[in-house]
Amino acid sequence: MTPTEIIPLLIVVLLLLSASGAEPDTMSVVFDGNQTLDGAGENSAVVVGGGSVTVPANASVSAPLFVVGGDLRVDGEVEAVRVLAGNLTVADGASVTGQLEVVGGRATVATGANVASRSDLVGQLQDQSPTRSPAGFLFQVLSLALVAGLVARRNPTLLANVGDSVTNHALVSGVVGAIAGLALLVLFVYMAFTLVLIPLSVVGLAAEFGVVVYSYVVYGYLIGRALPIERVDVASAAGAGLFVVALEALGAVPLAGVLGQGLLVAVGFGAVLITYFGLREFEPAEIPG
Amino acid sequence: MRFVDHVRAGEWHTVLGYLLFVALMTAGYYYNVTFVQLGLIDLGTRLVGLSHTAVSTWMAALALLTFVVAVAVGVTMDRRDWSTDLRLKLRLLFGVLVVQFVLTAVAPHIRSAAAFGAWIVIASCALGVGFPVSFSLAIDFVPVPDRGPVAAVITAVTYFLANAVPIEWSIGAFSLLMVAAMAPGLVVLGVVAFDLLKPIERLVDGLALQHREFGTGRFCHPTSIRTRSLAFLAPVALMFGVFFVDSLGFLRIIETPALILTSWQSPEFSTRLAIAVVHVVGALMAGVLYVNFDRNGLFLWVFALFGLTYVLYTSDLRVAALFPALGRDAPSIVNPLFYALTVSFYTTLNFALWPDLSTAETIGTHSAIGVGMAGWLATFVSTAVALYLDHAAVGLLTHLNLVNALALLFFLALAVGIYLRRLVAVARGRGGDTDAASDGEVSG
Repeated sequence: MTPTEIIPLLIVVLLLLSASGAEPDTMSVVFDGNQTLDGAGENSAVVVGGGSVTVPANASVSAPLFVVGGDLRVDGEVEAVRVLAGNLTVADGASVTGQLEVVGGRATVATGANVASRSDLVGQLQDQSPTRSPAGFLFQVLSLALVAGLVARRNPTLLANVGDSVTNHALVSGVVGAIAGLALLVLFVYMAFTLVLIPLSVVGLAAEFGVVVYSYVVYGYLIGRALPIERVDVASAAGAGLFVVALEALGAVPLAGVLGQGLLVAVGFGAVLITYFGLREFEPAEIPG
Repeated sequence: MRFVDHVRAGEWHTVLGYLLFVALMTAGYYYNVTFVQLGLIDLGTRLVGLSHTAVSTWMAALALLTFVVAVAVGVTMDRRDWSTDLRLKLRLLFGVLVVQFVLTAVAPHIRSAAAFGAWIVIASCALGVGFPVSFSLAIDFVPVPDRGPVAAVITAVTYFLANAVPIEWSIGAFSLLMVAAMAPGLVVLGVVAFDLLKPIERLVDGLALQHREFGTGRFCHPTSIRTRSLAFLAPVALMFGVFFVDSLGFLRIIETPALILTSWQSPEFSTRLAIAVVHVVGALMAGVLYVNFDRNGLFLWVFALFGLTYVLYTSDLRVAALFPALGRDAPSIVNPLFYALTVSFYTTLNFALWPDLSTAETIGTHSAIGVGMAGWLATFVSTAVALYLDHAAVGLLTHLNLVNALALLFFLALAVGIYLRRLVAVARGRGGDTDAASDGEVSG
């Protein structure tokens, strides 16, 4: 793994540790070689970023373990393991007394191993598709519809201005959205690596997410205008609901669907930015001649 | 794009102008970024046997001399009204191409320092005449609204070819390719410049009058921009900063095998293709932004992207220093991709900016000073600084950290400058028209 590939994963670990109240600067990271964890004096988190780490049969490790690269083999007892990338093997007779979370990578648990609790994010994501989890999806639709209805009722001009950029200046909106979205994402991720700026990084990422949600509301407003509903707030709410459904359906199309989703997000993100969240209509620079 | 309108209207002389401009600028820029910037280092160090420092010094001399010649030629063009004489410009360009053709053909056979020095001096003169003349063709060939897209196409094609077409970074390979490409180019330019075919002569007649319509650049409305004004000198300083930051960083990157052999010189075609594609995407993005925003915004983007790129590079190096095991793997492709994006942004801006800051009366001087100061003088200064840092045994991380600091400093200074200008405008009671004023005055 290169530094660029591993840094985001380490940042995720840092964020998880910060969220759990632990001291992120005390964690130890293993990048290469063959190492053994016997549990003695292991109070801070251990991150496996490369190489091979083994918890022997007679050892008990209470510190949280993270796998972001390389291999972790558990023959003894560990409390909690999170796998973001890399490989985890829990052998026969070994035990995970707490939670085993698999976000990415590969986790192999022998039939004779004892795992108190296991969660698999990939499986959960699959479970969250509308057909498998209608309640969750309905919640998303209703939430966005509610926000769209409220914003449209209070200040429809904001949505109209952003919507104008989406429809009439889609190219420039998409360019600004793509470059700003990507650059800000990288910036916030790298900010987190400074540790000092972790709170700012979290706020920044949340703000980016907020802009995306706002753009979804705008799409809802645009769809709502085409619906035979007179009240703008009701139309926007209905449009937002339809948009979420359409976006989900689009995601089901292999490759082209994901590209289409990305394009919609980029255009919406850029349109929100270039109109200052709809506070003013975007007017391209005038070029004489 | 106006180009489509001209095609639909059957205005073939204008269409020819577009094609000629793109072909000439692409060829010229490709020659610069490959043969001049990379080939000469190989020639000097490997074939002539000079030290790397000596070659760098000669390269700096080439940049300085090119700048001096260009300013002299640019000012002369405007004073003698050559800037509006298309045929004269094409003939000058033909002369430059003949000299460069000969220089390119003989370059691989140079074996002595004296011959290398003489080659540098003659090449400087040819380049110094060539670039103000070629940039000034924008007023004859490219309508003002299309300068952003045309600049984007030139940048995209040049960098795509430079990265995707597999060619060894050696003077022999470059020379062979350039001679083969220049030979038909010489014939075509000769036919166009010397009216050797009647139909072409009529097309050139049409092109020769276009400067009356296309001559006044985007930022010269309602009043033209004077050379000794902040409206011109501010973009010159900013573009100098952009080229300086790029050159100072890249000079070190190409000397670091771990960074260059896994990116621009990677044996993997997919890696080089990825860089080439990002260059194209970046150029087209910059073309869209140039048309839709004022130039301040683009400069901000460029400095911000440079800052971000070097943050990525330096972060990798810091992590590798902290955890040596990670440094053993090949560096990530993400960093050169961001670098490529940034370079395409500012190159597009550079191709469109100088004609748009000029009129038919000032295009020679402005393009010479603009490109000369920003491109060549910045290269001269950055090479000198890089040599100093090399002698001072400054490490890679410190070097790139310095470049990063410069990029962030320029970004901050520009943002503060824009804000202060608006503040002053508001204080003077004309806050409402600051955006409009920014295009005609300092915004740049």
